Amino acid sequence: MYGYVRPPLGELPQEERDRFQRAYCGLCHTLGRRYGLAARFILNYDFTYLAILLAEGEEGPTGESRCPASPIRGRSYRQGDGAAALAADESVILAYWQLRDGVADHDWLHGLKYRGVSQILEPAYRKAAQARPGYDEAVRSQLGVLARLETERCPSMDRAADAFAVLLERGADEVDDPVRRRVLGQMLYHLGRWVYLTDAADDLQKDAKTGNYNPVALRFHLWDGQWTPESRREFAETLDHSIRMIATAYELWDFGCWSPILQATIYSGLFQVGKAVLDGTFRPRVRSLERNKQELRDST
Amino acid sequence: MKDPYQVLGVPETATDEEIKKAYRDLARKYHPDNYHDNPLADLAQEKMKDINAAYEQITRERGGRGSGNGSYGGSYGAGGTAYQRQQYSSQSSSGSSVLQQVRLAINSGNLSRAEALLANYADHNAEWNFLKGAVCYRRGWMDEAKRYYQTACQLDPGNAEYRSALDFMENAGQTAYRPNGGTFGTEFCGGNPCLTLCCLYTLCNGGGYFFCC
Repeated sequence: MYGYVRPPLGELPQEERDRFQRAYCGLCHTLGRRYGLAARFILNYDFTYLAILLAEGEEGPTGESRCPASPIRGRSYRQGDGAAALAADESVILAYWQLRDGVADHDWLHGLKYRGVSQILEPAYRKAAQARPGYDEAVRSQLGVLARLETERCPSMDRAADAFAVLLERGADEVDDPVRRRVLGQMLYHLGRWVYLTDAADDLQKDAKTGNYNPVALRFHLWDGQWTPESRREFAETLDHSIRMIATAYELWDFGCWSPILQATIYSGLFQVGKAVLDGTFRPRVRSLERNKQELRDST
Repeated sequence: MKDPYQVLGVPETATDEEIKKAYRDLARKYHPDNYHDNPLADLAQEKMKDINAAYEQITRERGGRGSGNGSYGGSYGAGGTAYQRQQYSSQSSSGSSVLQQVRLAINSGNLSRAEALLANYADHNAEWNFLKGAVCYRRGWMDEAKRYYQTACQLDPGNAEYRSALDFMENAGQTAYRPNGGTFGTEFCGGNPCLTLCCLYTLCNGGGYFFCC
């Protein structure tokens, strides 16, 4: 989960933006209610999408309250139900294991922040893992597969992406309706594949400098972190094919009130984010910080 | 029996032209060509049947006013005729019985068996590469699927089946359904003026950036 799946808010009417905000705040409230304040800090767009995908077609009752993020003016939020609880539990498990992964990936010093946050999240994780032992096991095992592939420097980007994609796909296991389970499983698999590959593309230059494992660099031999026109075209094509699989699956289920948000995200948001990543404009904030640091180094 | 108007997503007061337009849009969306080799193709086929039945029922009830006149002929992809195209014929061009079994395994959704059979088959000819690509595709391993299809096409340039599988992968932008006729593809989308807006709700932490810094 890296924050690449996000709604193209500019293309959505106010009504839909408000609905997305209520889903976002709703997940935050569910996390708070089930796991306490610490768990609310794992909230992000990806988990909001997980909650939206797992939700029923109706938005259900909404509430309004102030919260630590909006202490003066209350915000309306979607009240939780069984699907929201499932999304919250899975989010906690995913967040915890990704933090543990961060601990394993870094040396003692740089792993400190991951270790610290994962310790704070530990009680919430234990509770979530108890509630969803199957999903906990799936995440643990898939991240194990991913870690092995990284150590082996697996040159197949499909194989590496598959380890992460299956981890998301398994999030649909507890859905009762068999057709809906298949549709969601397919959507989550390719969303996971798209996220993993987009993240690898976003890290191309960073990994070229540090020598970290990057399946996209290995696949296209991009040792300096720069795209060639041919490799960029091929890569965009493979991303597009995953989006096509997400879209064809999405069209086979009625997502009710969530349809406008999902449709805009699938048919527009993912393309926009992918293009921004390929153009290197996705994280101007991060790059501008790096530039500042460079200027500081140059001047001293 | 499903309400045919509900299936097509139009009110009962819709004009013949509106019904035809709704039907065409849905038929384009669920057309077997859009679900070529898709693991969910069977669900799309069900949808297609419902849409065709609904359209036929409405045109029949309305005295055939809407049918035949430039429509898709009422049975667009129905009855599995078009769907047949995405089922691999059991006749493999190489004539190998093992590769025929692979085709059968893929058709029945038994990808593990197909993979095991392919792994034990020494002659990596055009057909082997094509079937390997088909297994990868169904697993969602799109990059490898395309590379196997490419090899199959190189080894047997005249084979229309291999060529069509590769074309399907290379031309997603042109062939994929997209609502309201928009563009489909990472390289085809316009700028991203909305990306800054997307941080509107970044409240409690770095939004999406929590794990990547």
